[in-house]
Amino acid sequence: MPSVTAHLLRRAVRSLRENVYLSLVATGVVASATLLLGVFLVIVHNLQAVTGGWERDTHISAWFAPDIPVERRFELKEQVGAMEAVSAVRYVSEDEARTWLAERVPEVAPVLADLGPDVLPASLEITLAPGHDDPEAIHRVAETLALPEFDGLDYGQQWVERFNAFLSMLRILAVVLGGMVALAGVFLVANTIHLVVFSRREELDTMRLVGASDRFVLVPFLVEALLQGIVGSGLAIGALAVLHHGFLVRLQAAVDLGVAGEPLSFLPWPMVLGLGLLGVALAVTGTWAAVARFLSKVA
Amino acid sequence: MIRLYHVSKRYGDIHALQDVSLGVRKGEFCYVTGPSGAGKTTLLRLLYVAEPPSEGRIWVGGVDVTDLARGHRHLLRRNIGVVFQDFKLIPTRNVGENVGLALEVLGTPRETIQRRVRAVLTTVGLGGREEESPRVLSGGEQQRVAVARALVNDPAIVLADEPTGNLDGAMAIEVVEILQAVNLRGTTVVVATHDTGLMERFPYRRVRFDRGRLVGEVPCRL
Repeated sequence: MPSVTAHLLRRAVRSLRENVYLSLVATGVVASATLLLGVFLVIVHNLQAVTGGWERDTHISAWFAPDIPVERRFELKEQVGAMEAVSAVRYVSEDEARTWLAERVPEVAPVLADLGPDVLPASLEITLAPGHDDPEAIHRVAETLALPEFDGLDYGQQWVERFNAFLSMLRILAVVLGGMVALAGVFLVANTIHLVVFSRREELDTMRLVGASDRFVLVPFLVEALLQGIVGSGLAIGALAVLHHGFLVRLQAAVDLGVAGEPLSFLPWPMVLGLGLLGVALAVTGTWAAVARFLSKVA
Repeated sequence: MIRLYHVSKRYGDIHALQDVSLGVRKGEFCYVTGPSGAGKTTLLRLLYVAEPPSEGRIWVGGVDVTDLARGHRHLLRRNIGVVFQDFKLIPTRNVGENVGLALEVLGTPRETIQRRVRAVLTTVGLGGREEESPRVLSGGEQQRVAVARALVNDPAIVLADEPTGNLDGAMAIEVVEILQAVNLRGTTVVVATHDTGLMERFPYRRVRFDRGRLVGEVPCRL
């Protein structure tokens, strides 16, 4: 087996050497397609991070009715905090609410001062536990909070539903777009390799006529594709890192691209590895498609 | 060894071969002759299954190759040495590698390939020129490389399409003598040629074609 591997590698390296220009073009195309996928993955990854943050921020505000004693308010806080669907509860007094608003919107501070200390109601700010932040779960929690002590609940029901619909659509879009980018990559690689195969058609035709099996013709191409895929993916990942650290991060710092203040992060290592494998798969699949198409046309 | 039964080959409206029935025995040397466009090359192409016949059936080495599946053609070709009219040498490979290709596709070890390539190149008068590129060889030398590649794996059948077309008289005789020597070892040899002088000098069986039809036959006079 090692001699077969060595033989295949020798043939592949030799072929790469004999077709330097087209091999470089093919490697460049693999690198470009992989980079395109990488940029797409970075965007999706960061969007997910941002929307994941939004999901984690899903919470309910329960406004206390006037004249509810402070002791009762804290009893309710304990009760709500003990609920399985709730991960944290914070009591916000009238004063805290007024201070918070005055700090956020300084223009209204004088008006708030004129209206007195109880202009904003006290509330419980309830953060939901992971797994209880979908619209149905939020609705269920809200129903259990329908107590006379609360004057109103704000959990942005419509917003949550729309946000979840948006997230679902975003995920579907990511899969569809990712698939399209990958397909475009395979198409691009297949057509480039087809040019390589076309330039060597007489050689391959002769091989078939002197008794070469399809496998004999195909396998060295696949080994070449593997090498091109590894080099192309490496280049693409390097370029992606340079693009991310040298351009996107600086651009974000300059114009505050980050949504909700989240810094744009690079792909985690498993995704980098996956991207590399995807680049290799692109090269191998594209090559296989091109050579198989050629072989189906020769005798 | 080779049998054609009512074989026709059409390319659109052109009848390259028409109702040809022919047999070549094992170990026989046979010329396929006729003017340009007679169907000689088409006949050879059908024998190494470069394409299927439009009608009729073909057997090569006892195997019905009429509808031979793509996946099995290479196995048949490993038993047939073909000298192509246009040589079909790979310009990026040197002479030795071109000749060795017929063994390489069989998975023959490198040392064996090198040994047999050296021997067969010596036989065709190109000993010691393994490292040269086919690009620097003359037409006649390229033809001999093509002959060497056809013979290197000791095939049961050798098909040669105008193997002396680019050679001068003396070299043409040498090439036919090589094919004759191979034939004497039991290999079936079919040579497509219109070189009458050569056929007179080596008077093996001749089958004559004209406009795709088998129009005559001259038996071996050796």
